[in-house]
Amino acid sequence: MKEIFKALGNVVIKMPQGFYVTFKHLFKKPVTLDYPRKKKPMAPRYRGKHYLERYDDGTERCVCCGLCAAACPADAIYMEPEETEKGERKARVYEINLLRCIFCGFCEEACPEEAIFLGQEYEFSADDRNKFIWTKEDMLVPHPRKDNPFKKILRRVRKVYGTPEATR
Amino acid sequence: MATETKKDTRTAQQAPTVTLTIDGQEVTVPKGTTVLEAALGMGIHVPTFCWHPKLKSVGACRMCYVEIEKMPKLAVSCATEAMDGMVVHTDSDLVKRGRKAVIEFILANHPLDCPTCDKGGECDLQDLTFKHGFDDSRYDFLKMRFTEGAVHTTFDDVRIGPEIILNRNRCILCYKCVRANKEAFGEYDLGAFERGNITEINAAPGREVSNPFSGNLVEICPVGALTNTDWRYKIRVWLTKQARSICPFTSSGTNTLLWKEDHQQKIFRCTSRRNDDIDDGWIADVTRYGWSYVMAEDRLQTPLVKKEGKQVPVSWEEAIDLVARRLTEIDDTKGNVCIGGLINPQLDNESLHAFNKFMRVTIGANNVDHRLDYPMLPAQGDTAYSILSSQPFSIADIDTSDVIVSFGSDMLKEHPNEYLRMRKAYMFRQAKVFTINPYAVKNADIASVDVVYAPGTDEIVVNAICLAAIEEKLVDAGRAAGLKDKIVPNSAAEAAETAGVELDDIKIIARSLADGKQVTFLVGELVARCAEREPIAAAIANLNRLFGLTDKGQVARLARYANSKGAEKLGLTPFPAPEVKAKLERIFGGWPENEALTTDKMLVQMNKEAINAGLVVGANPLLLYPDREFARECLERLDFLVVCDSFETETTAIADVVLPLASWAEYAGDYVNLEGRTQHAEAAIKPRFHSRPALEIIEQLARAMDKPLFESADERRREVAEVLAAQAVLPWPNDYFEVSFDNAAADSEYTIPVFVGDDPHHAGHLTEKSPSLSNFVSEAYVEMSIELAAKLDVKAGDSVRVESEAGKVIVPVKVSDYLDTDAVFLPRNFSSAQVNSLLMRKKRVNRVKITRVAD
Repeated sequence: MKEIFKALGNVVIKMPQGFYVTFKHLFKKPVTLDYPRKKKPMAPRYRGKHYLERYDDGTERCVCCGLCAAACPADAIYMEPEETEKGERKARVYEINLLRCIFCGFCEEACPEEAIFLGQEYEFSADDRNKFIWTKEDMLVPHPRKDNPFKKILRRVRKVYGTPEATR
Repeated sequence: MATETKKDTRTAQQAPTVTLTIDGQEVTVPKGTTVLEAALGMGIHVPTFCWHPKLKSVGACRMCYVEIEKMPKLAVSCATEAMDGMVVHTDSDLVKRGRKAVIEFILANHPLDCPTCDKGGECDLQDLTFKHGFDDSRYDFLKMRFTEGAVHTTFDDVRIGPEIILNRNRCILCYKCVRANKEAFGEYDLGAFERGNITEINAAPGREVSNPFSGNLVEICPVGALTNTDWRYKIRVWLTKQARSICPFTSSGTNTLLWKEDHQQKIFRCTSRRNDDIDDGWIADVTRYGWSYVMAEDRLQTPLVKKEGKQVPVSWEEAIDLVARRLTEIDDTKGNVCIGGLINPQLDNESLHAFNKFMRVTIGANNVDHRLDYPMLPAQGDTAYSILSSQPFSIADIDTSDVIVSFGSDMLKEHPNEYLRMRKAYMFRQAKVFTINPYAVKNADIASVDVVYAPGTDEIVVNAICLAAIEEKLVDAGRAAGLKDKIVPNSAAEAAETAGVELDDIKIIARSLADGKQVTFLVGELVARCAEREPIAAAIANLNRLFGLTDKGQVARLARYANSKGAEKLGLTPFPAPEVKAKLERIFGGWPENEALTTDKMLVQMNKEAINAGLVVGANPLLLYPDREFARECLERLDFLVVCDSFETETTAIADVVLPLASWAEYAGDYVNLEGRTQHAEAAIKPRFHSRPALEIIEQLARAMDKPLFESADERRREVAEVLAAQAVLPWPNDYFEVSFDNAAADSEYTIPVFVGDDPHHAGHLTEKSPSLSNFVSEAYVEMSIELAAKLDVKAGDSVRVESEAGKVIVPVKVSDYLDTDAVFLPRNFSSAQVNSLLMRKKRVNRVKITRVAD
């Protein structure tokens, strides 16, 4: 009889005691996300997937100067320039190898034309290694962004030349 | 760096010297040296923009500021002559401040478009700004910008020549391009216009910068104001590597750098690699832009074998086996004499030697020749011409000569590098230049006397000079004894009349040759390609003996192709020089006994079906041999023709087996330039497609025939070195040659003498595949004088039919103001018009008639 009560006491008292933490969290807001249905908002300066900016009139900002590739510590950027009909310089090929990229953001810092930025996106999984090579089409924003949160402080050059847009 | 001084070292040793102190070190330099040159000679870095070692100083950029004690202000070192006792500081605080200020001034109007500028990464202004400038700008106003028709584009680029793009905003007005154009190249198609803030460099109104040296202007530009179209927006300079190469198109072997990228296996451009003994840092456009045929997509990709009348691609093994089998078959059934070999003298030494050994040992035939463009080569070894060809020659000695004669040579078209040397001697040392040619040439503008003689009277002109010297008693009588009896005609006046030249001109030349302290006498292709080259060479030998030219200078026939001299020295002719032959005999272990046949004789024998198989390596005889119909007839009669080439040509079209040949940039090789100097060219890229170097092809063929050529690469190199070391210079004879002359009368219908040579922007059959060079000239033309154009009633650009007895071509007219006789010039090696069809190999002067083609 004594053993029976002891066992009952274990169930009634010890079990809730043991599940205390569990039950406590039942009524708390969960720390995990309902990923992939819900996504975590990233810090404003998070360095995720690269994107290439456009000018307000829609032309690409990147002139394929090669400074990002030169600054890249992982040698992840490959580019080939070409001449447009207007005689301007533009990237014909612009590729970033995600498997090599360490998301240090040096390319963004090196860019003299404010063309490349590291964005918020972080979902890169793929089932083929070749899909980790982003081409220009993958990275170029479809429309010029008016509210680019990463626009740098205009440099002194602009004071001399006006804005880059005005000199185009 | 002592060679930085523009003074000749020979005179510098005797000239007075000055001693000065630069940065605490004492240095003694020849008087007249600038402070900058003295500092650079000591290895002290003084930044410059406008100074160039081969040009006069202007002091335009002020970057080379130095502090000289007891001088009130900073001095411009490139324009300050070194004086005795000068104390110079190149690194004091004042100098640093001065440099900073200069950089700031230059950057005031310089756009900061380095990201789009092709010069970025190799820009003097960029480098010096990093080193000496401020890191920020104090300039707060809008920069001055040039506009074209009030339109601002990002780049404000103007195309001022077929291959040059000018951006005036970037220009820092160092005037290097204008000065080089004027001082070094003698061209006036680029100039500085306006003044002050709006000064601009631009092409002369209505002209474009298309001179044969225009690429150098881009190379010496310290900023990105002048850029090349072939390098434009292709790659960043820091991604490229350089292969040290040699120009394969000119015979001087100008040193070049091929800028390549290893992952892409691509060549991107070619620039100069300064070698003061050869090129002074200037390279001709054909060298600079010619490389791009290597990257052409229509190159031959695989071996082709004719099967049932059609050429089909096959594997290398199959092709080599077939060639080996057929050659053995013909060798066995018809004898080894029945195989002839022609090789292009643009190939490297080892290929040439391997070919020689293959023909003379493996096959055992004596029919080897590299002279595809010379008609009527003698059946036996010639004397005067061989002696003349073998004479030593030094490019650098042209600089120091005080009398320079170019005879029978369109220097600009054939030898652009030596042409620049002539110009330099004229410009910097006031040398007397004489040109003696059957038609007016462009270098005549520096000539004291420009003699244009009647075509076909070459030896008479030379004789006239000799006779004039004897008559005027310019040479001592003992020396002249016996000459007058051996040459025709009897007097200088008569000779001058026959040749159609002024006697006074001849006398001036004779006097200069007699008085000159150092004489350079250059003989060019118009003599070498002439069917009557032997009497002309004899006349020149007489002239040399009379004036003692070799004792006080040099007499040389300039070899035409990149390795012509090498081919001569390696014995790739039917009759090599005796010592070369002895050496080869020892290496080959014997010498083929059959008759040695020159290109001509080979073709004749092919026509008689006495030669049944032919090997052509890297050449296109159908486009080059000066009698197209004859060459075609002969080659088509062959049972078996093997052609190695990089592209499909007229000759590959009739071949039984076509083997794709790698270009010079795809394998390493040695080349002998016209001075006899052996130089090495590195491989820039791997052979493209399935092409192979000539050496590899020949060795494989020999192996397939079970007679390997060499045991090892060492043995091959040793053999080449041994043959090259053999003395190939033949001594001048101790007596005068007899020179007779018989004037062939021109026939009635065809009256206009025609000369076929190279365009300055086109050399060999390969450069046609270079898009850059095609921008300069893409098709054959007929160049004529203004008077002749008026007489024929044609304008520049009109199509005309040029007809000779042998054939006809239809080409556009080009009118040139420097031509002043009726002779016309046609450039060869263009597939658009096969001008060699106008020529007949037995004729000394080919004449044509020109009629307008009705639209």
